Amino acid sequence: MDSLKKQYLAQVTDKYVKGEIGRRSFLRNAAKLGLGVGALAYGMTGRPFLKTALASDLKPSSDVMSWLRDVGKPFAGTTLKLATESTPPSNAIATQLKQYFEEASGIRIEIEVLPLEQVLQKLTLDVASSLGTYDLYYIDQSWAASFSRDVFDPREQYADNSDLAMPNYNMDDFLPALVDGIAKYEDRWVGVPYDIPIFIMIYRKDIYEKLGLQAPKTLDQLYQNSRAITEEMGPSMYGTSGQMKSGHYSLECDWTAWLWGHGGSIFGPDGKFTGNDSAGLAAMDYWTKLEKTMPPGVHGWTWDGQGQSVAQGVAASMLSWGEFFPYFDDPNSTKVSGLCEAVVPPNPISLRTVSQTGYGEIPGVGHQGGSSLAVSRYSKNVDAAWIFMQWATCADTQALITALGGGTGPTRTSVYDDPRVKANARVGAGTTRHLDVVRETIASHMGSEPDLPEWAEISSDTIPVALGKYFAGDYSSPKALMDDVKKQVDSIIEG
Amino acid sequence: MTFKRMLRIITAWIVVLTFFFPIYYWTTVAFKNAKEIFDVPPRILDFTPTLANFEKVFGISFGFGFGSQATVTPGGGNFYMAPRLWDTIVVAVGSTLGAVVIATLAAYALSRIRFRGRHQFVAWVLSTRMMPPVAVAVPMFFIYKEFRLLDTYIGVILIHTIMNLPLAVLLLKSFFDDIPHEIDESAMIDGSTRWQIFVRLILPMSRGGIAATAVLCFIFSWTEFLFVLTLTQTGLKTVPVVSSSFVTSIGTAWGNMAALGAASIIPAFIFILLVQKHLVRGLTMGSLKQ
Repeated sequence: MDSLKKQYLAQVTDKYVKGEIGRRSFLRNAAKLGLGVGALAYGMTGRPFLKTALASDLKPSSDVMSWLRDVGKPFAGTTLKLATESTPPSNAIATQLKQYFEEASGIRIEIEVLPLEQVLQKLTLDVASSLGTYDLYYIDQSWAASFSRDVFDPREQYADNSDLAMPNYNMDDFLPALVDGIAKYEDRWVGVPYDIPIFIMIYRKDIYEKLGLQAPKTLDQLYQNSRAITEEMGPSMYGTSGQMKSGHYSLECDWTAWLWGHGGSIFGPDGKFTGNDSAGLAAMDYWTKLEKTMPPGVHGWTWDGQGQSVAQGVAASMLSWGEFFPYFDDPNSTKVSGLCEAVVPPNPISLRTVSQTGYGEIPGVGHQGGSSLAVSRYSKNVDAAWIFMQWATCADTQALITALGGGTGPTRTSVYDDPRVKANARVGAGTTRHLDVVRETIASHMGSEPDLPEWAEISSDTIPVALGKYFAGDYSSPKALMDDVKKQVDSIIEG
Repeated sequence: MTFKRMLRIITAWIVVLTFFFPIYYWTTVAFKNAKEIFDVPPRILDFTPTLANFEKVFGISFGFGFGSQATVTPGGGNFYMAPRLWDTIVVAVGSTLGAVVIATLAAYALSRIRFRGRHQFVAWVLSTRMMPPVAVAVPMFFIYKEFRLLDTYIGVILIHTIMNLPLAVLLLKSFFDDIPHEIDESAMIDGSTRWQIFVRLILPMSRGGIAATAVLCFIFSWTEFLFVLTLTQTGLKTVPVVSSSFVTSIGTAWGNMAALGAASIIPAFIFILLVQKHLVRGLTMGSLKQ
């Protein structure tokens, strides 16, 4: 069965499961595919059947396997190590795909899965010791500046090692916005874009329809909608949600979305903090209003709690990481399967240009996270690691990761159009039906944090601690808060 | 029943429930499906129990096999953790054995043998506990890398043994101090050597103290996080460190984390039950001096 047939069958099945078409109509449509009664079982059982059918077809391309067999021979028996956050790409590789790589190349890959802050600790230790205990680095976008000199620039590796270069690897296929936002520091590539969580607008279509609301196109509409839902349905349902845990990086992520959306920026062209200017204060006023429409526990939540608040039917919308969407569609884990819709983030009130900011900051309501994958300069197995890196980030592997790993956003243009990825665009666990929105958000709404070595400290400690204190009532006004943040941030940068 | 007694019983129940409830609630999370975990108000008793979380964490249908389980959940990782529970047992038992054996010998020497600087030696042993582990973790990483001990059972057992030794030595010394010296002297008059006295008299008499020390060493090793995190990679991991891998980029797998947490209580509980009869006596025995 080819992918288009599967896609069609998935759509028809969705309609049947949701009661939009009857059994007769479902069978008629299925018969067009030559499936007949067998399709009814698919319709009844839904996801498991689809999962099995797809999983059996989801194998690496023979060209890629053949290249691995050829190029991997001299390195057979080598063991590579990678420390990574538990993200969909890493998990899909670790649990489903690495066996293909190991069988074909003879190179072993050991993947250590850790929370993000522990990955940073491991990498810092590895860099400080220059011991090369890890051959590959998983680099969060906020660390790019810190590790830029400790990894190889993949463009140089590709050009310098023609014997090891994967045919059709095509570096230009990586979404240019992601190269700038995730993998680039000054003129160097700090690895290649590996995964891309990005803020999209997710809302409960059923609740919005019930109250006659439209998906928010502006920040003001988001506030008005959220207020209307909270007033109408609270305290059992709140209009929106947040990731506002005091002192946590997630709080800084939320802040930047509102800041950029109000025409503000973190830094000015002179490299000084500008969150305390009029746009920055307007953003704080807006956020303070919006926070009143969120569930009471929001100050204890990172993205985890925020996601759960939507998944368990407590909040009707969130501007947050698109990676949550496939999880929301999982009927076994959430109460909102099939009820959520994704749209691009609300339009900003105004937006600064990159030249009006500092350290390469790119303003945009769609806050972009993400990470790159790079070969460590301290690795004792640079060539073998480079082979693995090309395989892990090539278009074929990315398509498999997206299809198997739960609808994570690809970093390559071609993967968004891959039939294997399109085939999963239906309601159900691991859906990819939100990926068009992700792609559009990357192209037109993406906001990217500045790149400077001090950014890890500023974004994960200085700013979220101060914001947490503000929401706890420790500052008399947004101005008092932002003036204090300015003092701290400028002093860190000045050293 | 007097009012006083009634009050005492009620207070006792409140204390017991205060300690027991979090464990009970955590255990119920392990048996709930993802939708029920976040129900408001929380379901304390009326939930539909499921083994799904244990299935994913321990692969029950694989007969607790120790192979790899190639399944991936949407956005989630491979949560098959049976080998990690085994790692934890090996490390905790190994380091407890190491610490107790070495500490028993050292403590007996410090208690009975008079040598120059003995008191300073005890103070020095105690001072090694005063250094925060994080100050040692990074230098240990370099040393371990040099000696190829990174990511090995022997490496983790060694560091946990070293970490537990000071406490074990001091604890056992206080137990040995409580045993009258006259017993040693009588045995010597009867012709026993120091070693014979230690093995045949002192060790049997201080079973309670050794059991209490072993329990403490076991619990410290069972729950230690920093050294295991720093000195291991992919070869082995203990439960506290591996629990953090349930925190994924799209949220925390609470049900699976609770399943591992609930299951990891069992080996520690069994160990404590085995030495329980010695435990209470042992914990109080060293508190009184002659």
